[in-house]
Amino acid sequence: MSERIRQVERAGGWAAFEAEAMPHLDGLFRVAMWLVRNRAEAEDLVQETFTQALQSFKRFEQGTNCRAWLVTIMYHTLSKRRRAEMKLQLVSDHEERIAETVAFEPPTPQGITEEEVLRALGRLPLPFQEVVVLSDVEDMTYKEIAEALSLPVGTVMSRLHRGRKLLRTELARYANESGIGRGHVDTGTQKTSVPLSEQRRKSDAMS
Amino acid sequence: MQCRDFREVADSYLGDELLIETNHEVIQHLESCADCRRELTARRALRAQLRSAFTHAPDLQMRDEFAVNLSARLKTKSTHNVNFLFAPRATAWLALAACLVIAGSFALKAMLHQRQRNQSVQAELARSLEEKGKAAGTTDVGISPQTNRTGDAVRSAKIELAHNAAGDHRDCAVDFRLAEEPVSLEDAGQRFDPAYFDLVKAVTSYEGEASSSISFIEAHSCVFEGRRYGHVVLRRGGRLVSVLVTDVSGQTGQLAKQSESGLREDKMDQVIACSQVEGFNVSCFETSRHAVFVVSDLSEAENLAIARALAPNVYRHLIRAEAAA
Repeated sequence: MSERIRQVERAGGWAAFEAEAMPHLDGLFRVAMWLVRNRAEAEDLVQETFTQALQSFKRFEQGTNCRAWLVTIMYHTLSKRRRAEMKLQLVSDHEERIAETVAFEPPTPQGITEEEVLRALGRLPLPFQEVVVLSDVEDMTYKEIAEALSLPVGTVMSRLHRGRKLLRTELARYANESGIGRGHVDTGTQKTSVPLSEQRRKSDAMS
Repeated sequence: MQCRDFREVADSYLGDELLIETNHEVIQHLESCADCRRELTARRALRAQLRSAFTHAPDLQMRDEFAVNLSARLKTKSTHNVNFLFAPRATAWLALAACLVIAGSFALKAMLHQRQRNQSVQAELARSLEEKGKAAGTTDVGISPQTNRTGDAVRSAKIELAHNAAGDHRDCAVDFRLAEEPVSLEDAGQRFDPAYFDLVKAVTSYEGEASSSISFIEAHSCVFEGRRYGHVVLRRGGRLVSVLVTDVSGQTGQLAKQSESGLREDKMDQVIACSQVEGFNVSCFETSRHAVFVVSDLSEAENLAIARALAPNVYRHLIRAEAAA
């Protein structure tokens, strides 16, 4: 296809891109910011993501989840960067073991502030944070998350299950320490709820 | 279902991801267990709280300035194909510099090669035009030396024009790498040549077979190597076709003088000259002040057919514009 046709179609395509993709800019930025924790890096990542999305917008299937498509592009971009910087983070056996050790299910506390919910989320290992954010905040399906993270769907499901459980455990521990929502807390399960930081220390000592 | 079982599947229940049978079991259990109802409410609330926290966290919000700049850059990139670099890093600049050095040496060789090629193309074109003038009755536009009373000067001017039109088609329609940004035909009609007004209407009002097989892409006025064109880009079967209208009264006096009487509409079939320039087929016709070129990489017959289909209306349009001027 000639450059002129491409140029003309891009001119017409901008309106479609603007209507379809640009409304997700805010949300994408928040996810990027959460992932890289650095404003300049997040802006750079989002910029590259949208530039690539614009260039390959023809490949976007109308009627599918544009936000999930953008998230997938962003993760691939981030993955390339991390590989390039030799900072690729994988879920280590160590982290999987931590998740497995949360055998008991503390009741979900109520009356926790939004700030504390975010802080608790931030204390989870990154791979668990990612799936929780993509599923419970971004509303992506297992399949969409699996595509974005290049993982099998089964891994996404198990990671999500463990991630949510870890988050509740963290919040229950915080609620217990702060005396929040004691009326609903089952003291029998609290005894078995070990803070994540404590479990990490134990796990480190064992390994 | 026991409480322990419920807590394992509660999140999936919230996400509506359970089988119908399991869903029924969950509902039955919830009806009889206040603790699990409370747990379900708490988990639903936590999910909403997480979403709200994420959406409203001040640290995660985007700067308005960033959003505005990014949107503007993307729009520019999408509509003008400007290959700008986003926040280039030092390494990118070094790589660019290295590429320029390498490219520079190739460019020198390419320039020398192109100069030789142009000379041979001109010679080929001259031969081609002579042969076509003899064979296809395209003599009314003065292409053929047999009927061309003004001789080599006019022929040379036409070769130059055909060459220029093919170059504009290549650099503007195909590669989009013109040095000067095109302007709208309306703008060009006011500033340069009134014939550019309504040119699109004249070009696209063809009838018959052409109307179903040719589609309009865009129109503008562009400049190639100092010559201004009214440029209408069409598409046929995925191939680009340029219709280029240029004023020849000022720069090619002999050419204009030779075509002073204009062309008779009943002889339209005879006034199309056809030649090949740099891989493109070029068909052309003229009025007393304007030359019109149809350029494409379609076959010679197809290109000629398109030129003939749109020639009557374009010709009438130009004659009217010239009379009004």
